[in-house]
Amino acid sequence: MNFSFSEDQVLLRNSVRAALDEQCTPAHVRAMAEDPRGYSEALWGEMAKLGWLGLPFAEEQGGAGLGLVELALVLEEMGRAAYPGPYFASVVLGGLGIQLGGSPAQKEKWLPAIASGQARASAALLEDTLDWDPTSTAATATRAGDGWRLTGLKRFVPWAHVADVVLMPARTPEGLSLFLVDPRAAGVTLTPMVGIDLSNRWSEMRLDGVAVPADALVGRAGDAQGVLDALLRRAAVGASAEMLGAARRCLDMSVAYVKVREQFGQLIGSFQAIRHRCAEMLMEVENCHSAVYYAAWALTAGAGDAPAAASICKSYVSEAARKVCGDAIQVHGGIGFTWEYDLHLYFKRAKALEPLYGDAAHHREQIVRGFTAP
Amino acid sequence: MDLNYTAEDVAFRKQVRTWLEQNMPRHIRNLDERKAWHRRLYEAGYLGMGWPKEYGGQGARPMEQAIVADEMARAGAPAPTNSLGVGIVGPTIVVHGSEAQKRRYLRKILTAEEMWCQLYSEPNAGSDLAALRTAAEDRGDHFVVNGQKIWTSGGAVADWGLLLARTDPSVPKHKGISCFLIDMHQPGVDVRPLKQITGSSEFCEVFMTNARVERENLIGRLGEGWGIAQTTLGYERGGRALARITTYASQYKMLMDAARRLKRNGRPILDDAVTRQKLGRIWAELEVERYGALRTLTMLERGEHPGAGGSLTKLSYSEFEKRFMELAEEILGPYGQLTDGAPPEFRLEVDTAVGDHGTWAYAFLWSRAGTIYAGSSEIQKNVIGERILGLPKETRADRVGGIR
Repeated sequence: MNFSFSEDQVLLRNSVRAALDEQCTPAHVRAMAEDPRGYSEALWGEMAKLGWLGLPFAEEQGGAGLGLVELALVLEEMGRAAYPGPYFASVVLGGLGIQLGGSPAQKEKWLPAIASGQARASAALLEDTLDWDPTSTAATATRAGDGWRLTGLKRFVPWAHVADVVLMPARTPEGLSLFLVDPRAAGVTLTPMVGIDLSNRWSEMRLDGVAVPADALVGRAGDAQGVLDALLRRAAVGASAEMLGAARRCLDMSVAYVKVREQFGQLIGSFQAIRHRCAEMLMEVENCHSAVYYAAWALTAGAGDAPAAASICKSYVSEAARKVCGDAIQVHGGIGFTWEYDLHLYFKRAKALEPLYGDAAHHREQIVRGFTAP
Repeated sequence: MDLNYTAEDVAFRKQVRTWLEQNMPRHIRNLDERKAWHRRLYEAGYLGMGWPKEYGGQGARPMEQAIVADEMARAGAPAPTNSLGVGIVGPTIVVHGSEAQKRRYLRKILTAEEMWCQLYSEPNAGSDLAALRTAAEDRGDHFVVNGQKIWTSGGAVADWGLLLARTDPSVPKHKGISCFLIDMHQPGVDVRPLKQITGSSEFCEVFMTNARVERENLIGRLGEGWGIAQTTLGYERGGRALARITTYASQYKMLMDAARRLKRNGRPILDDAVTRQKLGRIWAELEVERYGALRTLTMLERGEHPGAGGSLTKLSYSEFEKRFMELAEEILGPYGQLTDGAPPEFRLEVDTAVGDHGTWAYAFLWSRAGTIYAGSSEIQKNVIGERILGLPKETRADRVGGIR
């Protein structure tokens, strides 16, 4: 039993942090918020070279063959830097989705391309009812010749405007099924959905009888539920890792600030009202760390409690990160509420992820069902 | 990172489980029976496991200690006794005591032949322990002790006490304190049980009037008492880390069962969406405590000391326990407050914090103690702020000048 990172894992984290500290500064985050595509191709190329884009894929598919603990380490740093770009969408949602459910040919086509940075993927997991239960899917796929026609309305598709392929569930006569669709195909309409988080982009994706070939079907028709459950768990833990990183950044900024800010002739960090709040923030951050890396390990190892651990992680971190990032604004006082000060970049990153891949309430219900399931 | 237990640890756990199945008493009726059970655990090598071998321990790894405690919690085994002796007094003597003190006291602590208490807190020295006023006057070959102690666990059955007393009131308060071993069976020591809000008396008040301590029972040198109390390294650290969570988990499962049987507005409480949310939250928090315990054990196994990190752990689980017990009370309603007469399905069938058979009412009331004893939550937050986050200290008036 060993709940600490290996030397390689520490090296990976340090190198990701060093690269992002240098290239993903708050100024970069702000610049990308004004950029039409929203992310830097140069940094994307750098990430491909460093092996981050293929990190969880098998070596024969151009990946590094690493597990979710390593992926979580990278994602934590991305949350800490509020990295703006399609990393999570491409590697976690699209990439892991194809890895979990794709045929050998689909993996061969997409995973090396994602790993090299040439292709960007995403997944459309949400419709207008905002229910994360895949059985709520209303989009349909009907057979048309050798292929299929897809119709439906997907919401909050991350980075769809720069994606080459989007994984999406749709109903077929056989049941819930998964398809790969090109978001630039005829019949697809993307409309930006602009949120408060400056470091993320979403689109509404409307599909009006979009024709896709037979090999767009992922797995067998009617077999999507298992892949979607597995993918959603990984997304929930990955998003939690990003929230953990954002929360740690907010804590670090708060601690640094209260050591220099003076009021009433004293450093405000010497006041118990401030110090106790900072201590609670650290306790929450450390608990989030435990939840994230336990769940990442459990999913990688196929531990029996992995599904529960993923729900425990997302429900805990969603609320703890909100509290920590919110408390950071509070201990900063007025300056924390200004656009100019960087704190809101991380506060909003965490906030944006809070409802995604199941909010705390969704996952608490999953936890209780785990106890009551027959 | 690998959270699987090693084959060695799995085998050890199995061995402990088998031993408990064969040796565990169902009921403990009095202190003599508890001492006998304590002795049996010691002879099997399951008590004082972390103590060095030369002093009667096993030199066991923290994980082995945690596994034994965890298996005991899992089996609902009665707690041993003399926990302060084994956990704190013994290790203090090992680290700071003289050879004569080690020979005289250590073995009898492990066998519970001599029971120990800790005489630290006073009515006006709780969180601010260094403000203690109990005085030990130097008479050459002995000291004369006068003062009052409170919150003395197990004081009523203790043969000996580890005492902090002021030997020099003229120096700043942290520097005038010394550490002694005091015989509790003498005319100058009066022990009175302190009845708590639970109705039980795990703690005592101890009044010392011209009590005598031989010079040979001074630990370390005069004026070093505060440092000794601060730096004592328990050998049983980690021991309760997993066991605590296992106890919570068995309580949680009983609570789930109660939520299936009890109804509100015509439906089982377990079908109520609001209650389900609360149950889901508490299980998540409980598991996060377990993950944290695994992190602590990892550090201990590597020979690292969590230091002020222990404050994070204690703050987290003690505050959790209050939320947990409040939810238990909410689900159980008036059944949760019964100290007697509860139907069997709404009784708590696990050991309490002090090893007695418990009720939900007792567990609920006891949860209020955890955020006060061994450094209140507020003190833990000060420690975290100062020692981990490096925040500036408060301006304190008590670090200068004498105690008078």
